[in-house]
Amino acid sequence: MTKNCIAAKKGVFLAAVKANKQIGRRFYRLRLEFSGPAAEAFANSKPGQFAQLNLSGTALPAAKDIPDELANNARRNILLRRPFSFADVTCEDDKTLVDILYCVVGPASLRMTTLSAGDSVSVIGPLGTGFCVPEGKKRALLVAGGMGAGPLQHLAKLLTADYPNIDVMAFAGAKTAKELPFGARLDEISQQLGFSLREFADYGVESLVATDDGSAGWKGLVSDCLAEWLGQAAFAGNDMIIYSCGPEAMLAKVADIALKNNIDCQVSMERMMACGIGLCQSCAVECKADRPGKTVYKLCCKDGPVFDSREVIFSA
Amino acid sequence: MKDNVDISVDFAGIRLANPVFTASGTCGYADELAEFADVNALGGFITKSITVRPRKGNPTPRIVETDSGMLNAIGLANIGVHKFVEEKLPVLEKLSPAVFVNVAGETINDYVTVVERLASERAIAGFELNISCPNVAKGGISFGTEPEQVAKITSAVKKAAGEKVLMVKLSPAVTDISIIARAAVEAGADALSLINTFTAMVIDIESRKPVLANKTGGLSGPAIKPIAVYLVNKVYNEVAKSSGAPILGIGGIMTASDAIEFIIAGASAVGIGTANFIEPGCTIKIIEGIKNYCARNKIASIKELTGTLQE
Repeated sequence: MTKNCIAAKKGVFLAAVKANKQIGRRFYRLRLEFSGPAAEAFANSKPGQFAQLNLSGTALPAAKDIPDELANNARRNILLRRPFSFADVTCEDDKTLVDILYCVVGPASLRMTTLSAGDSVSVIGPLGTGFCVPEGKKRALLVAGGMGAGPLQHLAKLLTADYPNIDVMAFAGAKTAKELPFGARLDEISQQLGFSLREFADYGVESLVATDDGSAGWKGLVSDCLAEWLGQAAFAGNDMIIYSCGPEAMLAKVADIALKNNIDCQVSMERMMACGIGLCQSCAVECKADRPGKTVYKLCCKDGPVFDSREVIFSA
Repeated sequence: MKDNVDISVDFAGIRLANPVFTASGTCGYADELAEFADVNALGGFITKSITVRPRKGNPTPRIVETDSGMLNAIGLANIGVHKFVEEKLPVLEKLSPAVFVNVAGETINDYVTVVERLASERAIAGFELNISCPNVAKGGISFGTEPEQVAKITSAVKKAAGEKVLMVKLSPAVTDISIIARAAVEAGADALSLINTFTAMVIDIESRKPVLANKTGGLSGPAIKPIAVYLVNKVYNEVAKSSGAPILGIGGIMTASDAIEFIIAGASAVGIGTANFIEPGCTIKIIEGIKNYCARNKIASIKELTGTLQE
């Protein structure tokens, strides 16, 4: 695993599907296996990077397995690839296994659920920038909203493996317990602080769960949970770094908390994108320009998806 | 047999190794694409639109997928002609395909200024005049829908272009595309490219708002291909065949067979756009597929195929 910000050699590759496990009503974890040059490219990928999957030829589930809310446009053709970040990357012999955590939200992710061991899927990647680890940090706070937990699991693995001097702590939020993309049984998720999600605990990382309705863990927004925790903790802002991934409104709140507490913060942004490789210019993220009051559009796919929170002008 | 097939074309006096171009706005300035495809294998390369001054482009969402297509409203985001000359031309100069610079502006003077700045650059084979962009408030498509305006801008830019080839890109959003095509050719256009995207809209029924921040966007992709094939055939029969101005056929080409349809309809060359977003190496496969088609059908030169639609 590389420690710096140099991106691995990317390309268009064919991946073999090894598993596609449902981990809740709407969540799945897809495991892809890469060989040859693709194995090397993905072995060197960084947490926060992503890949573009071509799902246009993937079959729809049987009609009875299509959720009511998606039945209306489930049969729509898929033209463009879909971007996904990685929840885990592991090397086995000369193969690289990449886990993708995804949520069924539309016709493409619906098709994705029918992928099974033995299938293959065309993948462009690894793409974009990843999270970076600045010198001198003693404490990393991972703040996930909903599906944003994926790349932060990958980051938790890297931080605990390569940065033994950094204490890592995870915050995971969702609207309700049912919308938490974790494997734990919902009734196991404690109402108390300090409950550890297995996905983070496996790396020795403690986690806090927050739900808007209080159906699991802390009641309220995960950003408020973070703010309260920071208020109680007596750590110097300079020693800490926040990594966050989730809905833009949440990222905006986390960025604000980071700024007030003088903590470095990197956010993984999401945009509708056609190509993912800088051709289409669709995925613009408005950022502060060098001159005061001026802004520039950077590309989520190439300049991001990970940005320093201080440069982003959040739109939500 | 396949190796004996000649797929080179003569496009308005420029010899191209093959008839495949990348379409404007889908491959940036070539540097991004080069990481995924051998750009030197292309017949031609068309840059994204260049304007006098840099443009930030539109707010997001700038794209939305539709059935077999997509809408885009990028808003001609580009680095401006000054930076283009400094940063991108040195890269484009090293490429073997014929490089066309797509030019856009808000006034005729804007177009002329960009073309004058670039007319003496060796790296450039010609210009593609964007008078059909549906995504900007001023200029763009408004120049491309009135024959008098088309003639005026074409002749003004032609003077500025000197020896370079001038290609005019046509909008499909007109009552009779041949009237616009004729106006361009009579005013000095050396070639025609068609079609640009269709102005279109997608609505989020929950918020009852358009999905795109720009409200409307240009529809591209396989959804528009049959209309594009028809319009290429129409312009070929009514304007291009008699005038000798070659057509660059564009509109939803995903495969070699799509490209061949356009050539049979009357295109001398083809532009690949949306397909690059899905398969950045698709142009290379399309070139290979055209060669295979010619070999299979005993066509010695691809030039013979243009405008061979049978009754």
